[in-house]
Amino acid sequence: MKDRLVEHLKAIIVDDEDLARSLVREYLGASADIDIVADCANGFEAVKAITELNPDILFLDIQMPKLNGFEVLELVQHNPAVIFVTAFDEYALKAFEVHAVDYLLKPFTRERFDQALALARERLSRKEVQPLAEVLATARNKDIPLERVLVRDGSKVHVIPVGKIDYIEAQDDYIALKAEGKTHLKQQRLAELETLLEPRRFVRIHRSYILNIERLARIELYAKDSRVAILKDGTQLQVSRAGYDKLKGLL
Amino acid sequence: MHPILADREKLFVYLAAWLVIAILIAALVAIPGDLGWSFALAFAIPASLVYAFICLSAWWLCRVYLLQKTNVLKLLGVYAVSASLSSSLWILLCNAWVWALNQSQIPGFSGERTVGETRLLFGIGVVLYLLAVAVHYLIIAFEASREAERRTLDMRVLAQEAELRALRAQIDPHFLFNSLNSISALTAQDPAAARSMTILLSDFFRRSLQLGAMELIPLKDELGVIRNFLEIEKIRFGKRLNVAMEIEDTSQHCMVPPLLLQPLVENAIRHGIAHLVDGGTVSLRTRKENGFLTIEVRNPIDPDRPKTLGTGVGMENVRRRLQTLFDSAARMDTSTKNEMFSVEISFPAKDSVQP
Repeated sequence: MKDRLVEHLKAIIVDDEDLARSLVREYLGASADIDIVADCANGFEAVKAITELNPDILFLDIQMPKLNGFEVLELVQHNPAVIFVTAFDEYALKAFEVHAVDYLLKPFTRERFDQALALARERLSRKEVQPLAEVLATARNKDIPLERVLVRDGSKVHVIPVGKIDYIEAQDDYIALKAEGKTHLKQQRLAELETLLEPRRFVRIHRSYILNIERLARIELYAKDSRVAILKDGTQLQVSRAGYDKLKGLL
Repeated sequence: MHPILADREKLFVYLAAWLVIAILIAALVAIPGDLGWSFALAFAIPASLVYAFICLSAWWLCRVYLLQKTNVLKLLGVYAVSASLSSSLWILLCNAWVWALNQSQIPGFSGERTVGETRLLFGIGVVLYLLAVAVHYLIIAFEASREAERRTLDMRVLAQEAELRALRAQIDPHFLFNSLNSISALTAQDPAAARSMTILLSDFFRRSLQLGAMELIPLKDELGVIRNFLEIEKIRFGKRLNVAMEIEDTSQHCMVPPLLLQPLVENAIRHGIAHLVDGGTVSLRTRKENGFLTIEVRNPIDPDRPKTLGTGVGMENVRRRLQTLFDSAARMDTSTKNEMFSVEISFPAKDSVQP
């Protein structure tokens, strides 16, 4: 009995429409070895469920309230076999095509669904990992600068509007976002975040710092060729020579 | 830019007319005096052409003192002064030209000739100037009517655009495919509901096609399409979507451009309700007041929702349509307060003929 349970696969269905979820549930009914462990109607619920339940298979809608499907994936560290489900999304479809990632287009037939499921099972058995990070990068609409940074704290998600960020500091594999007196840690490289932020508002003033220039009070000479940025709240950040040139260009 | 100077063809006709005038002037000064035709023409043609350009200046006065908006006394005053000034300037130039001809070495021209009666010439100058004024007013009237024609054409083009846009809205991929997916889900769970959703979808498509082809429709027909649309969305969004309608009875018979409100309601769902975990209420209020029809659409929004491209295109279309149809008589205001978005449009109410 116990062995049989181990063989079972855990699935999570994420879609903001009740009917869309119930359709996936219905199609999954034919697979006795798949347990639906959670049913999520929005991105927050999805991040929580994925973090806590560690599913094997994830049915993921792209357009949802709070966080879209890609943002959910960006926030979780698990690697379930993801079956993307979408009605229509130009950027997402392009990304799927580019990276040869399977996806379901609503409405879909049972045959198509079974096929996608079979592919997912195969990936699971071969422990093959989908190129999700690449899909995320391609799907990101580069015409719009980042407006909010998402940070996961356990199974809780914090949405930080970029306007509230004072500065961002690199700390080993993490970045520390300072906003409204709090520090949020996120696993991301500073250079990557730098490319996503609006360059007129956020300046890389040092190898370890990105500064929201609205927070800058003044720049002081610290030693020869070395300066410090003094923020409105009194915080002092080192400014490199290149960083100083960038700041001068903007101010 | 001056309409005659800007158009080579017009300038040619204008100058040709002045050549005729030149010959008349030549006859007038040649016949009573003893100047001889060749001298008379040598005088009159350049003099007329110069005056032709002086008279073009009337355009700027005509533009400032529009016929319908200026009282007669003022008009008389303005043109008495400007005609006298122009004519005087012309006479000065005429005398200078005659003097130059007299001084010239051209055989038969040199001598002590004059152009005769200065008063007569002054009178001619005044009359010609006033004629030019009349011509300019005609051009203004002509251009105004052409402008009006262009506006009607614009309006028709915009109406067609709205129709096309409405067609595109019907096949808005999200709306269409998600609705079809809902039907697919309902087929097994609740066949009766699946059937009624199929019919709602068809009704919506058919009605918007029919209405889109018309110029103006009673508000209650437009509301019919919107109720139809909202019912479909209610099946998709379930209890996340609530609708509150406050339709003042007298407003129902006002005529509105077809599918004007549909994009506003669509926006309320797409940029409002769809981003809210618990959804909310889309409220639609219409009222008729002091001869104006006012329509308000309100919906809650998530202040942290991700911005998407394409926001505001639907709104901009509505604004443009209102402007072409009602000009400055229409108003459209949007506001975001306390996580509520609201758009209010208002334009002159025109009642449909009641049977």
